[in-house]
Amino acid sequence: MNLFKAELHRIARRRLTLLFGLLAVGALLVMTAIMWFNSSTGPSGADLAAAQEMADAANAQYETCAADEDYFAAPDSEYSWVEEDPVLGEMPHEQACAELFWGDSQPEDFIYVYTFQFDQEGVFLLIGVAIVTGLLVMLLAASAIGAEWSSGGMANLMVWHPNRLKVWGAKLAAALVLCAVAVAAMLVLAFALLYLTASVRGDTGTMDGPWWEHTLARVGRTAVLALGMTVIGSALAMLGRHTAIAGGVIVGYLTVGELLVTFVRFGASGIKYPDLLSLYTWIGAWIEGRMRLDHWDPVTGASDPMVLTATDAGLLLGAIMLVFAGLATWSFAKRDAA
Amino acid sequence: MPSVIEISGLRKTYRKLLRQPHNALDGLDMEVAAGQVHGFLGPNGSGKTTTLRALLGLIGTDGGTMRLFGEAVPRRLPHVIARIGAVVESPQFFRHFSGRLTLQLLAESAGLAPARVDEVLEQVGLRDQAKQSVKGYSLGMRQRLAVAQALLKQPELLVLDEPANGLDPAGIHHMRALLQWLAHEQGVTVLVSSHLLSEVQQLCDSMTIVSRGRRIVDGKVADIIAGHSGSQLSVRLADAGQIREAVEVLVGAEGGVSVAAERERLVVTGAPEAAWVTKTLADAGLYLSELTTETKNLESVFLELTGTAPQAGQAVQVGQPVPGTEETPAAAATAAETAIGGDQR
Repeated sequence: MNLFKAELHRIARRRLTLLFGLLAVGALLVMTAIMWFNSSTGPSGADLAAAQEMADAANAQYETCAADEDYFAAPDSEYSWVEEDPVLGEMPHEQACAELFWGDSQPEDFIYVYTFQFDQEGVFLLIGVAIVTGLLVMLLAASAIGAEWSSGGMANLMVWHPNRLKVWGAKLAAALVLCAVAVAAMLVLAFALLYLTASVRGDTGTMDGPWWEHTLARVGRTAVLALGMTVIGSALAMLGRHTAIAGGVIVGYLTVGELLVTFVRFGASGIKYPDLLSLYTWIGAWIEGRMRLDHWDPVTGASDPMVLTATDAGLLLGAIMLVFAGLATWSFAKRDAA
Repeated sequence: MPSVIEISGLRKTYRKLLRQPHNALDGLDMEVAAGQVHGFLGPNGSGKTTTLRALLGLIGTDGGTMRLFGEAVPRRLPHVIARIGAVVESPQFFRHFSGRLTLQLLAESAGLAPARVDEVLEQVGLRDQAKQSVKGYSLGMRQRLAVAQALLKQPELLVLDEPANGLDPAGIHHMRALLQWLAHEQGVTVLVSSHLLSEVQQLCDSMTIVSRGRRIVDGKVADIIAGHSGSQLSVRLADAGQIREAVEVLVGAEGGVSVAAERERLVVTGAPEAAWVTKTLADAGLYLSELTTETKNLESVFLELTGTAPQAGQAVQVGQPVPGTEETPAAAATAAETAIGGDQR
């Protein structure tokens, strides 16, 4: 327990932890500010007046056009091109005027107002916040372990605590606790800020029992995903014994790895559901709880669907995490330190 | 006196892909008695740090046995580690933590009282720099911090790898006084590996000299040096042209005496006593102008035993044996056993 507490303090006291924390909160505030200024509960009086003016102008122009059969044929008309237009030129005159000048315009046609719907959009933003926080903690955990290896601190610690499994367990537990606390804190903060934004500048919508059930299930699974990412980040740093190696593998997969998967997906005609090759598909299924993949018959065009459930995705993602954790444990237990 | 450290037949081979295996330890034996400052000497690459790493469970071994406080390690290391403070290799810490925080985290991890941190900072002379980041520490300050973390547990055994590295003369003096106080006043057993032979000579009560992964000699420092001194005489003749004749006279007069001519002097080893040389040469009509007994220091003993003494006209890399003296460690050990006092193995 002492070792776990010391490891928790060690990772919490790092400058990178503070930096990532500030970065995450800053990004959340920026996102909230964007939502705040873009969202509106409805048009203002000025907006309505301007929209009415624009609708009246459009209607007046339509009526002028509709009343004059030679409107497009006049020598000084700026719309002389309409008669030669393959589509408009074939239409009856009144219809062409309506197409061109939005006949029967209403003020609503000229009002551009975005209203933030918390019950519909908020959950996607919360999931995004949990994933980004998980990524940051994954990098943080990898960095903390990698820096200890490269600075010689790990060997120093092992001189104090020769039971290697205990050391690895304490470090992993500390990283997971940090991840859980960080994800929970960011979710609470994001929920509060976004709900406030929706209350003041948008619409909170219907947040009834089924909504809470569905939302908590998705956000909860995303939080579990963040914990799994932390385990993989820590394991990679333990295997590579350097932050750069762990970071390189993570960034490498997220860029080159997925790119290769995309190439294979487009080129692999023998694979019935090539989307299964991408980790993002499984992550999506895990978060959403269910994902449908379609195989379109090239002859009949009929769909042969396949459904991935959260259980399927959880088993695969859990297996990947366990493989990395197992390799790291074996490596740390067996390899010479230094 | 009971042994705190017992190592027998320790072997470690480093294997790398596409490279020849390297035997870092080739059947090393070592014993360290309680309450002593014990020096662990050897040229670069002789296996000192490897031994300490193995002893502290940082690396695995390929054979042999090790015991600390009578407990087999590394299996029982977790049971005795609370009694051991150690610094292996150059002290390295997380750069952005202060010296105090570095020690606090270690103390917390072992459930030690926080007050102990300030005590050891005071002991190693880092109290005023405790709040500074480690990245601002000099090598000497890091060395002190490393020793401080080794002292945190109030250990019964202190294992220090090159503790004087980077220290200035005042720091070395302070470190020496601290280690001797720990050993002789507090009863702490101290094992110190070092390249600073004069330092070992001043600091240590006993020592083990290793070469190429094997023990060459061990015993009290004074005994080992005494075993190598006194038998070497430097002789100059009144007529330098008679040196060749003098060599023949001395070698022919008594078996076991070896004489080497070096420029204008003779180096005589194995003579019964200085007066015998005087008389033998005088009887042959050869008269001395100078006769001195050469007393060896630890450095010359070390260079001789490890086969790394420089020879005129031969370039020797640091830590490598002198060309022509590349006998096996076992042979070197046997040769040493017949030549000097102390407990040669």
